[in-house]
Amino acid sequence: MMNRILLGLLILTGSACTKIDNYGEPTASFEGRLIDATTGQNFLTTSQGINVRLEQISWSETPAPQDIPSKIDGSFKDSKLFPGKYRITPMGGAFWPVLEPVELDINKGTSHDFELTPYLIIKDFTTELDGTDLTLRFRLDAPIGAGLPQILDVQPYVNTSAIVGGGASIREYSEDLKVTVNKQWINMTDMDKTMEITVPGLLPGRIFYVRVGARLDDSYKSSNYSEIVKITVP
Amino acid sequence: MRSIDKFILSVVTGAGILFSSCQKLDIPPTNIITPDIIFSSEAGVDSYLATIYRALPIEDFKYRPDQGFKAGANDWENFFCSGAVTGEMIGPFGGMDIGGGFAYWPYGPTNGSADPQDPYGSIRDVNYMLEELPKHVDALSQERVDQLLGEAHFLRAYFYFALAKRYGGIPIIATVQDPGSPLEELQVSRDKEEDTWDFIGAELDQAYAQMPETSAAGKANRYVALALKSRAMLYAACVAKYGSENFVDGTARVQGYVGIPSAKAENYFNQVWEATKLLEGHYALYQKNPNKEQNYVDLFLDKDSPENIFVKQYSIAASPSTAHSWDATFSPRYMTANALSRAYPTLDFVERFTTLPITNTDGTPRRFTKLEDLMEGLEPRLLATVYFPGATLRGLEFDTQRGIYPHFSGTAAAEVAKQDAQRSYILAGDVNTLYQGKRIIGNTGISTSGDELTRTGFYVRKYIDYNKAINTVDLNRSEQSWIDLRYAEILLNRAEAAFELGETGDALTCINQLRDRAGATPLSNVTMDQIRNERAMELAFENQYYWDLKRWRIADKVLDNAKFKGLMPYYVFDENKYIFLSERETFGRNYNFDKRFYYEPIPGGELGKNPNLYPNNPNY
Repeated sequence: MMNRILLGLLILTGSACTKIDNYGEPTASFEGRLIDATTGQNFLTTSQGINVRLEQISWSETPAPQDIPSKIDGSFKDSKLFPGKYRITPMGGAFWPVLEPVELDINKGTSHDFELTPYLIIKDFTTELDGTDLTLRFRLDAPIGAGLPQILDVQPYVNTSAIVGGGASIREYSEDLKVTVNKQWINMTDMDKTMEITVPGLLPGRIFYVRVGARLDDSYKSSNYSEIVKITVP
Repeated sequence: MRSIDKFILSVVTGAGILFSSCQKLDIPPTNIITPDIIFSSEAGVDSYLATIYRALPIEDFKYRPDQGFKAGANDWENFFCSGAVTGEMIGPFGGMDIGGGFAYWPYGPTNGSADPQDPYGSIRDVNYMLEELPKHVDALSQERVDQLLGEAHFLRAYFYFALAKRYGGIPIIATVQDPGSPLEELQVSRDKEEDTWDFIGAELDQAYAQMPETSAAGKANRYVALALKSRAMLYAACVAKYGSENFVDGTARVQGYVGIPSAKAENYFNQVWEATKLLEGHYALYQKNPNKEQNYVDLFLDKDSPENIFVKQYSIAASPSTAHSWDATFSPRYMTANALSRAYPTLDFVERFTTLPITNTDGTPRRFTKLEDLMEGLEPRLLATVYFPGATLRGLEFDTQRGIYPHFSGTAAAEVAKQDAQRSYILAGDVNTLYQGKRIIGNTGISTSGDELTRTGFYVRKYIDYNKAINTVDLNRSEQSWIDLRYAEILLNRAEAAFELGETGDALTCINQLRDRAGATPLSNVTMDQIRNERAMELAFENQYYWDLKRWRIADKVLDNAKFKGLMPYYVFDENKYIFLSERETFGRNYNFDKRFYYEPIPGGELGKNPNLYPNNPNY
């Protein structure tokens, strides 16, 4: 009886595995940098702050899109892609929309950089630690002012790791200190554009990573970020 | 061994019989019902219509905005409602879990198809009816056929409205497609959003022209069509007006599949105003009881309410049972035979009516001798919509407490600002935990663990059948009708359209009719904010506010990292008094509405089958 069952299972197992997937493995990879067109440096963003959208047009005229999220340093990489021709559009971040997508053949080790024009640039970012209170000063600047989405708010981002930005910050030091702006760029005076935020009561003896961000009312409610500064509280 | 041999023998024999039986016989089948049988008698048409009515996308007690329309005998989790992501309530959803929808695409069983989940199946059913009925004038009479055709147009509009508000422009299919046609003909492209709404409007005009004046409860008549038209055209008008200001750009928008030119708004608002004016005199606000609070409670339970325009009925006796679980899933176990509640009205919602007098002018919490004293002087409609601490259901008091302060001093603001560990209150997870002989959280109170007691201090009262005995309040045992369209909404639609058209006098009259019935003080003039607030108060928990936020295109502003508050009652032990503090609700949820959610994505499965449905909506 037992043998018959085993025999049956063996036959079933053997006959079930006759079909082989006839598509190649995802051997291609795609990486690159997202570059701030105004500085030539990597775009100041956060993990998943920007998505590089891929559409495999060699597969279908109407492919389902797949996204490569940005890393915190403004680069991106996906090493498990199917080789083929792709339409590629960076999207989702605080930059002027890329109207002309790039079409590329992606194979092993394909690399491409994208130049993006940020909505806002955070300039003259300085920090001043007074005891446990940290004062942040900065100035907003816009490479292109006309048609800029409304500026919603600015806020500090404070974290204990160097991964700091939207979704990676300590609420009491970050989101709770949000300053509402709700103004159109053209209606903002120089005074409006110059900001000062104080983060009070940082824990002594700790290291914090700090940056500021300005959020816009674009399709994604995306934010432009400053550079990250390391603060050691004595 | 023997039994295996027998089994093999029977399989071989069975297969033999199967294969030898494939002879062709060209006789009318006796086991399926042919169109002649269905459409040549009232009973046949009735049963055919019943299938379509059952599939109508009515957002009722059982509707789950993340999963779909439910008709099963055990779809009891009624607290998964859209109010629980919009700040009307705080509930089981962890965040904005319903923004992408649930891939609605009128799936349904269709005649002549083996697949009970045919896309657009319900629309195909209606189209089939529209084609077949004119062939049966002899059996049904011309007048009756015309009426039924009108009803079919109403039903078709109902399905298309549910699609249009989710996706914008969708393929308008108004004929019965032949599955044998070439694939290119079956893969229909999207129509523009504007054309889709115009189609819905025209369908309802035709329904209004042909349908009878009256209908049995649960069925539609010409005024139901008109009422639905006011709702649909208001949605279209707002898409045109507000969707032109706040939108996500993309190919679908450029090509008109989402978005309507703003110039069209006035036309749609006019259609709303005209439709609502025609309804005047045919329905009336429910005002049977001079006690305004009790009157407002009963309006949702009285089957003979003159306010009801279109209802959906439920029955335990039906097989399978269609009963819902509203009573058992919105009240605490203390007042039911078996219950699990999980969604609770917020203080933010309650404060739409008034700011509660819980704080003295010096900032200290006002002391109350009894919990119920807080309800004194509040608007009857508010008290009929939510159960306050101190209210009574089935002879039992909502003795809701967040906890006990052995002693309380200082201001409310200073206390709430403290870290939890710095506060001198005593909390509990269990209703039976005592502090010096007194329950810490009451029987219905705010627990430190679990979801089954209120987390905001309030419970839903609207639609709760208070006459049910405790031992009969169980899951799948509630039968009160869902009122899909009621005259109060018509007055709100009218007020909103009138105001948009500059007819503020008419808007004010409509709003004050509602406020009078509610027991609220009348307004002397009215603003758009007040009209919208009136709507949110009057239609609370009726699955309307989510769509209102969407059509006004303010959802991304209102639900921008939104957090909501509860009303936390505490017993101050050394004073033998109660205080109420306004604090964040204890789920600690926050809600973010992405701008792309103003439209849902076209279902992926359908995009796979029909590439002509591209472009998908922006940012999907």
